[in-house]
Amino acid sequence: MYTSSMLKKEFLNKWIKGLQICCSSKNKMDLMERKKKIKLSADIAMASANKTATSWSNALISEAKKNKQDTILVSQLLGSKSPLKLQKSTNMIISIHKRVQCKKILKRSCFNAGKRMMKKKKKNLGISRSNFATTIAKRLVKKRTKVLKRLVPGGESMDEVSLIKEAMDYILSLKVQVDVMRSVVAAAEVLIDDKLLKLVE
Amino acid sequence: MSSRRSRQSSSGARISDDQIIQLISKLQQLLPGTRIQRSNKASASKVLQETCTYVRSLHREVDDLSDRLSQLLSTIDADSPEASIIRSLIM
Repeated sequence: MYTSSMLKKEFLNKWIKGLQICCSSKNKMDLMERKKKIKLSADIAMASANKTATSWSNALISEAKKNKQDTILVSQLLGSKSPLKLQKSTNMIISIHKRVQCKKILKRSCFNAGKRMMKKKKKNLGISRSNFATTIAKRLVKKRTKVLKRLVPGGESMDEVSLIKEAMDYILSLKVQVDVMRSVVAAAEVLIDDKLLKLVE
Repeated sequence: MSSRRSRQSSSGARISDDQIIQLISKLQQLLPGTRIQRSNKASASKVLQETCTYVRSLHREVDDLSDRLSQLLSTIDADSPEASIIRSLIM
């Protein structure tokens, strides 16, 4: 089991490497640009600090690779990892995504066709209370899994069981990311506050 | 088609109902702000909702932190010794 402190060290190393790469290129960067680069290197560091190749990490990396501006940063940061593996996983993810989209379109068209027939039949059904509660619960769960799928990267093409597993892993790595970033930013702020105080005195 | 679907869902329910309950209880343990004695009746939809809000808040925090860091980096001028410290660390 990869302990959280080891993860934190890995993440910190990779993040600093990424910041060095992206901040050394231009000295005068727009605030938004710099923020995006910081965030990007943090995300990629988080994804690659995970030794076990989870699907959300692959999805994050493939997303970053799609953006042509950032591919240099990504490839430099990842370095030794075989690009072939990532290419395969990205192709897989793209094909799964397309399959899911086609299924959705089919489902929607069938549903709309069947809706008109169902309206006539439903008037006579007497739904019992327990059935009602379970259907509402099911609908809520479906709605919330949809939202979770959008939040976890690469979650669109996953079944429920693996979605929950990926979400757990993702939450752990997010916690690590937030902890490390928080301490780095706090340290930098203290440093700069000290400097400002010295200037005033 | 409908018979196949019902057969699939029943066999799937037998295998993954327990799995899903276990996973949801594990997920609940990761979330903050729950009482020490966690209730065994972890309703799936509540846990999922809390998970979504937690992930969103973590995203927002990462965003905010990178905002602050970029502002800090922009306020350093090139020549101060502190800047060189930070620069050697980060840049």
